[in-house]
Amino acid sequence: MRIEVQQLSAKIHRTPLLKAISLAIESGELFGLVGPNGSGKSTLMRCLAGLQRPAAGRVLADDSDLARMPARQRARRIALVAQQADTTERLTVRQAVELGRTPYLSPLRGWGQADGAAVERALATVEMTGFADRLWHTLSGGERQRVHIARALAQDPELLLLDEPTNHLDIRHQLSLMAVVRELPITRIVALHDLNQAAVCDRVGVMRGGRLVAAGPPHEVLNEALLAEVFGVAATRHAAPDGTPRLHFSHAL
Amino acid sequence: MTMVAVPTRIEARRSIWLAPCLLGLTILAGTAIGETRLPFETVLQTLANHLWGAGYAVDGIDAGIIWSYRLPRAIVAACCGAGLALTGVVLQALLRNPLADPYLMGLSAGASTGAVLVTVAGVGGGAVSMSLGALSGALLAFGCVVLLAHAVSGGAGGGRAAQSAAAIILAGIAGSQMFNALTAFTIARSANAEQARSIMFWLMGNLSGIRWDDVGPCVAVSLMGVALCLWHRRGLDAFTFGADGAASLGINVRVLRGSLITATAVMVGVLVSKVGAIGFVGLVVPHAMRFLVGTRHDRLVPASALAGAVFLVAADVISRIIVPGQVLPIGVVTALVGAPAFALILVRGART
Repeated sequence: MRIEVQQLSAKIHRTPLLKAISLAIESGELFGLVGPNGSGKSTLMRCLAGLQRPAAGRVLADDSDLARMPARQRARRIALVAQQADTTERLTVRQAVELGRTPYLSPLRGWGQADGAAVERALATVEMTGFADRLWHTLSGGERQRVHIARALAQDPELLLLDEPTNHLDIRHQLSLMAVVRELPITRIVALHDLNQAAVCDRVGVMRGGRLVAAGPPHEVLNEALLAEVFGVAATRHAAPDGTPRLHFSHAL
Repeated sequence: MTMVAVPTRIEARRSIWLAPCLLGLTILAGTAIGETRLPFETVLQTLANHLWGAGYAVDGIDAGIIWSYRLPRAIVAACCGAGLALTGVVLQALLRNPLADPYLMGLSAGASTGAVLVTVAGVGGGAVSMSLGALSGALLAFGCVVLLAHAVSGGAGGGRAAQSAAAIILAGIAGSQMFNALTAFTIARSANAEQARSIMFWLMGNLSGIRWDDVGPCVAVSLMGVALCLWHRRGLDAFTFGADGAASLGINVRVLRGSLITATAVMVGVLVSKVGAIGFVGLVVPHAMRFLVGTRHDRLVPASALAGAVFLVAADVISRIIVPGQVLPIGVVTALVGAPAFALILVRGART
């Protein structure tokens, strides 16, 4: 799905959090969203997911206005993996993933074979099939994050939004999670803190103070001058042994 | 998938038959057991006489006790148990708070204020019944709490869903305290000792005034509650990972929350106005049922309604027979059973 943001502004409790953001993300693209804490990444994600109504401007999903799309319709096309989504309920991994079929079910239309197949497919994609009968609260942070992604994939979305999916994960789980995300064939927008992870995206957008200050291929956008200005860090770029550029951060400015 | 689905479906089909049978048996038991224990045979014969004029010879006093006194009482007890347990399920699911209970929204406080204003302060001049006063009080308090919650969460514009759940709970506490204070004020100003005692009795739950007139509204609201919760079972499931999670699954959080909370509030308002505030059913039964049937609402809703109904009928029987010659407030029984049960659930929940 192609998604286009036009002059988008958003407020919470009259505090402006997003200011006139314009951005277009092509179908199948992996778009990284970076920026310091409080720069508006999560708010933008919520607007893109249709959870936050824009104060001005609009979000177009394949040319249809997101604000006018019925919620069920929207949830069949856009899935969100939010930052802090936990539960105290005693449910199994499979039950958690089955929630992803909610937008396809109604009080009268019950669970069907297609729903079961979508759940199995989603579990397989994130390599959690063997965990299907485990209880949620016995899972590690990385496993939970995979289940969240499986739940989102069970929605059969055309756009997957991931809000800092690698937070609180150890390095191995971070890398394997990003590998899963990279292989997905749909449009993906990932908010990230780790700038080196953002480097694997097709394009990155940089946010500061509610504005989108730069967008483009990571090796062009994430340069020393921008990192100093937006993130307030002194950084240098090296080539990794495989030739890809890597950022090295030396100190806060 | 199919290997899992087949046995549960059979199980579900069996429980569809089991539930009404169990409920019927409980109500019959509630009718038979009391200070004067009547044989099941007499109960069944009396029912047959009234339902299709079977013409069995039954002692007139026994028949009167069964038909005019115990049967409506058992039916209303079942309705209240089901309604309170359902409301607990709904509020715990929608507000993501395990301590949410049916009186969270100020309903019992408002009902008691309304009842006290009618009976003690004489509002309405005798034209308004105590239960109508209680119903108006409950709904008024609910309205206040909703307005307050709305103001706290920042109006229609924007507060995040998690904050608005917290706002509802805090507004409920504030509203309850205010209406409780009003009740205490009214009693302190104008009630005599006898009135104060009867009010306290009513507040702890009292089914002794129940007659057939009360059965209709109670059955209607609890059936409505069961139907509405079953209809929205997937919406309730979708709140597992919070209100934002539900919204991203295509649930209109504001509409679902608003309509379900309002509907259950009206249901509890009607029930409270008939029987007073019976505690712990709405808190404990949903938690106990989650242990037994899991967290999915397609099972949790009917299981909680049934368990609540059975529990409250049993509690009513206990309240009538445990102290010879005296009827305890049913709320005392539910709290005495419910509080330790709740503690047990918490401890077990922490361990597993």
